[in-house]
Amino acid sequence: MALLACIALSSFLFTADPKGNLSISPVRVFPSKTNRYPRRKQEMGFVNFNISADLTSLFHWKTKQLFLYLEAEYQNTQGILCVNNTVVVWDRIVRRKEDAVINFAGKNKYAFREISSSFKKVPSSHYSLKYNVMPYVGVLTYGEAARTAEAVDFVWEEHV
Amino acid sequence: MFTEELKAFRRLGFRHVLLQVLNFASVIASGLMIWKGLGLLTNTESPIVVVLSYWFHGTRFYRGDLLFLTNPASERYHTGDITVYKIPGADIPIVHRVLETHDVSEKVKIPGLVTKYPGDQLLLTKGDNNYVDDIELYQGLDWLERKHIVGKNDFPQLKYALLGILGLLALIQRE
Repeated sequence: MALLACIALSSFLFTADPKGNLSISPVRVFPSKTNRYPRRKQEMGFVNFNISADLTSLFHWKTKQLFLYLEAEYQNTQGILCVNNTVVVWDRIVRRKEDAVINFAGKNKYAFREISSSFKKVPSSHYSLKYNVMPYVGVLTYGEAARTAEAVDFVWEEHV
Repeated sequence: MFTEELKAFRRLGFRHVLLQVLNFASVIASGLMIWKGLGLLTNTESPIVVVLSYWFHGTRFYRGDLLFLTNPASERYHTGDITVYKIPGADIPIVHRVLETHDVSEKVKIPGLVTKYPGDQLLLTKGDNNYVDDIELYQGLDWLERKHIVGKNDFPQLKYALLGILGLLALIQRE
């Protein structure tokens, strides 16, 4: 038990804090419909982004894999709603140290939508690249590699 | 088949057998106490969960891996947290990661839901190896809420690593 605790606690000894770069284009919003309720309108946001980060310092003998995720944070405080939202728009699993240097330009993997069906009352959003180090044995650790310095606007498109 | 054991028991006497039974019962009772105590400590129904199937989590959690769960009552869940949740009507808890959180800071009526109060969270989860989120698993719910969550997994133990360590321990103790 003590050995187990020692090994688990040793995860606190590793204090790597890698940083990266993140750039997000304004989010393009399109009118759409929800899958589940086909008659309900739902706006969809499309996020195009560029990520670069060197996360090799997170790989040590106990690291099984890294779970990376890009999340959007925004508040909807106008109108009747007052809700803080965080939405993961992209993620990647990194299993080898060689794959831990990330240079990726792409768009969101997952649907980005507001619970109130529209982004009109949302002024802007912030984005952060976070990671979760998953060990073979021990404590899961989380960290943030990059964050947008300036808020990202929403832009409305007329046609898909 | 058991004649030898029966003979041995008879030799030792009835008191000894009774002692063995009591020992056994006390081990079980203390195990149960520890389990329940842990449950109280971590505020979750099942503080230790064994992964039954590869598919539940998807990020390479194998059958037999142990997960230690906590469920702090006042702490909010974040994206990226690995949670164990149970949908009313479904028997099996699911171990997936939080994909979206929506935190209510003022009393609000969200379209399609009952009124939400400050501190309420609406969550969406997804298994790491799945392409889509868990909405199909929610049996009609649009969002998970705190009350559906059994606990948060901060402390996974890979079965083989755990066995290896326990094996090492056993060896060391024998020496």
